[in-house]
Amino acid sequence: MNFELSEEQKMIQQSVERFVQENYDLTNRVKISSEDPGYSQEYWTAMAELGWLGLAFSEEEGGFGGNQIDTLVLMEQFGKGLVLEPFLANIVLGGGAIKRGGSPAIKESILPNLIEGNLQVTLAYAEEQSRFDIEDVATAAREDGSNFIINGKKSMVLNAESADKIVVVTRTSGSQVDEDGISLFLVDATSKGIERENFPTVDGLRASEITFTDVEVPSGNLIGEKDKGFAILQAVVNDAILALSAEAVGAMEVLYKDTVEYTQQREQFDHPLSDFQVLQHRMVDMFMEYEQCKSLLLRATMETVQDPILAQRTVHALKHLIGKSGIFVGESAVQLHGGMGVTEELRIGHFFKRLLVIDSQFGNSDFHLDKFTSL
Amino acid sequence: MHVELNSEDLAFREEVRTFFEENKIKDGEDYFSWRESWFKKAREKGGWDVPKWPAKFGGPGWSPTQHYIWEQETARANLPFDLPFGLGMLAPILMNYGSEEQQERFLPDIRDRKVNWCQGYSEPGAGSDLANLKTKAVLSEDGTYYTVNGSKIWTTLAHMADWIFCLTRTDDSGIKQQGITFLLFPMKQEGIEVKPIITLGGSHTVNTVHFTDVKVPVENRIGEEGKGWTYAKGLLEHERTGLAGLSKSLVELEQLKDKARTIQRGNGNLMDEASYRSKVGELEIDLLATEFTELRSLASAASGGEPGPESSILKLKGTEIKQRIQKLTVEASGIYASAWGDKGAGPSFAKGGTAGYLNSRYFTIYGGASEVQKDIVAKKVLGLTTGKSK
Ligand SMILES: Cc1cc2nc3c(=O)[nH]c(=O)nc-3n(C[C@H](O)[C@H](O)[C@H](O)COP(=O)(O)OP(=O)(O)OC[C@H]3O[C@@H](n4cnc5c(N)ncnc54)[C@H](O)[C@@H]3O)c2cc1C
Repeated sequence: MNFELSEEQKMIQQSVERFVQENYDLTNRVKISSEDPGYSQEYWTAMAELGWLGLAFSEEEGGFGGNQIDTLVLMEQFGKGLVLEPFLANIVLGGGAIKRGGSPAIKESILPNLIEGNLQVTLAYAEEQSRFDIEDVATAAREDGSNFIINGKKSMVLNAESADKIVVVTRTSGSQVDEDGISLFLVDATSKGIERENFPTVDGLRASEITFTDVEVPSGNLIGEKDKGFAILQAVVNDAILALSAEAVGAMEVLYKDTVEYTQQREQFDHPLSDFQVLQHRMVDMFMEYEQCKSLLLRATMETVQDPILAQRTVHALKHLIGKSGIFVGESAVQLHGGMGVTEELRIGHFFKRLLVIDSQFGNSDFHLDKFTSL
Repeated sequence: MHVELNSEDLAFREEVRTFFEENKIKDGEDYFSWRESWFKKAREKGGWDVPKWPAKFGGPGWSPTQHYIWEQETARANLPFDLPFGLGMLAPILMNYGSEEQQERFLPDIRDRKVNWCQGYSEPGAGSDLANLKTKAVLSEDGTYYTVNGSKIWTTLAHMADWIFCLTRTDDSGIKQQGITFLLFPMKQEGIEVKPIITLGGSHTVNTVHFTDVKVPVENRIGEEGKGWTYAKGLLEHERTGLAGLSKSLVELEQLKDKARTIQRGNGNLMDEASYRSKVGELEIDLLATEFTELRSLASAASGGEPGPESSILKLKGTEIKQRIQKLTVEASGIYASAWGDKGAGPSFAKGGTAGYLNSRYFTIYGGASEVQKDIVAKKVLGLTTGKSK
């Protein structure tokens, strides 16, 4: 057993940490989030230049040959500043799907550009009726000569507003909830028949509803085999769960530490709040939840690197715990800050919102407990 | 012991229902003129516009059971909006400690919903430890007016208020609870600056309020100088029992189930999913118990006793229940929990649902934060003491 990061990973960790400290105070974050496109193009370019976007891609793909552990290192630090740049959407989701199932031609045309920050790709998988079931896909792709014609609606697509390309999860055969018969396609975001309705999310990010009306896509744009897209989707979603969980762990660390600090400064009844035992115990609980989440995050990530199929159950366990503990830590931080906790003025509220959103993405705590206990 | 309502109570319930039914807002009716006429008609019923006021001050003088029925029915009906500050918080103080002249001066406008009040208690340094307040009021040499300087925080709707009831410090030589003076003054005057605080749900209800040399005539002081703490404390108890909101929660719980039933899962709906359903079930069980805790407390008050120890847990349980309802609404929203504003797909209740949940976090903070409430129960009910808190 070795929990030590490599020297390179440590260096990256430190440089991300510094980047977040220098660029992501609350005022700046709020400003970036409120202006279009909802993140900083300058930071995105900087991230590409620092090589962060390519960490988890192989060298042939234009990356540095890392894996989910490298993503963990990044995301945990991103979580400490609630970084807005669309790393998850582009690198883990869009890039993750292409990496796994794209033809050599697609990989070649997309991945280097993605890694250099010149092109954006997202993944459209959820639908209004699907809730958290990723196999529930109604959006249809019908074969028509050498093309496919896509019709349907996708929901809560992350960062679609800025995406140049969209990997869309469609049904090519089977019933609406079959794992078989799912196919992924790479489409131009500006294709005829695509309509995007963009909106902000609770955590200051952006998402979109996307309608596909007779959208034509050449069959060469299939990501993976026809009808066999589920395995890719599942693997990408698992990676997203690992990445989000790492971000959540970073956010929880900020919340418990800010709370410890605040209660030491704020006095009521002629004592620092931190003198009150009930608050001390609550902070110990916050700290314990954070540590437990971190442990399970490491476990799930290391197992995934070893064998993603065997790791499935641990990934469910992780997302369950992250959802539950994240909200506990968020609610506790707010409670212990009193009135200050429910304002937009302190950063803890923003971190709490992010954790709330993370629970609602890629399956909430209940959903994954159910999956975990049925595997 | 019996739970059924007697025939008089049943008749009363019928009367209340009929009144609500007959005075519903009609399609296209102007809200504000409807509101005005609603309160007028309620008044003609014999004080139904001020149900909690004692008969002596024009209230209906109902029995606890009648109050309970009223609460239940109002939770279901769509009543005109009302604010608690004048009607529920200041009025009882005026009735108990105000001079006859002050009662005549302020109560009618409160009753007519003509004057909006806000509550100026909390300060940056005085939250849970309210007695630590520092806003200074200095009596003029001729003894005719006070000059007020200082800051309040969290003042709900200060930006819409005409008047404020305010705790100020006139003497800091004794223990904190002494030397606090209760003043009333208009908000729209020079020397008062109101600034918004935006809460997590994205809304503006609370404010900071700064006073610079605000002059307040002595006639606007409630009771004696330096006794404000005693007056305010009685009112705080009043505020807390009102915060449990159980009747409303019972209605909201049913609404929650209806919402969850609109979320299709396979051949059924979200209420068929074991994990979700058991959380709703646990919530309902807590609510059933708490409702009777409230009734027991009402009954002991009715038989002339002090509200029993059970009343001290009402605020704790009631607010926690309200928060859980909000949380389950967010969970029912699924992937739409993160949508902000009114765009996008998803169930209609998801829009605003998350903001509602975020704002519900303050239910366990204002009006006595839960930890402090539990301290009170520990001391007053269980007779426990600690070496730490003073
Ligand atoms: C939305 C909202 C509306 C409000 N409206 C009004 C209003 O209209 N007028 C008004 O005057 N005030 C209002 N308040 C203020 C409210 O009453 C205070 O927020 C409340 O008293 C708590 O004080 P605080 O925020 O300073 O928290 P603090 O007192 O700083 O408490 C922070 C945390 O420490 C805990 N704590 C404090 N003391 C102890 C102790 N001895 N032992 C254990 N734990 C302790 C608390 O429980 C809390 O968790 C409002 C507040 C909110 C959030």
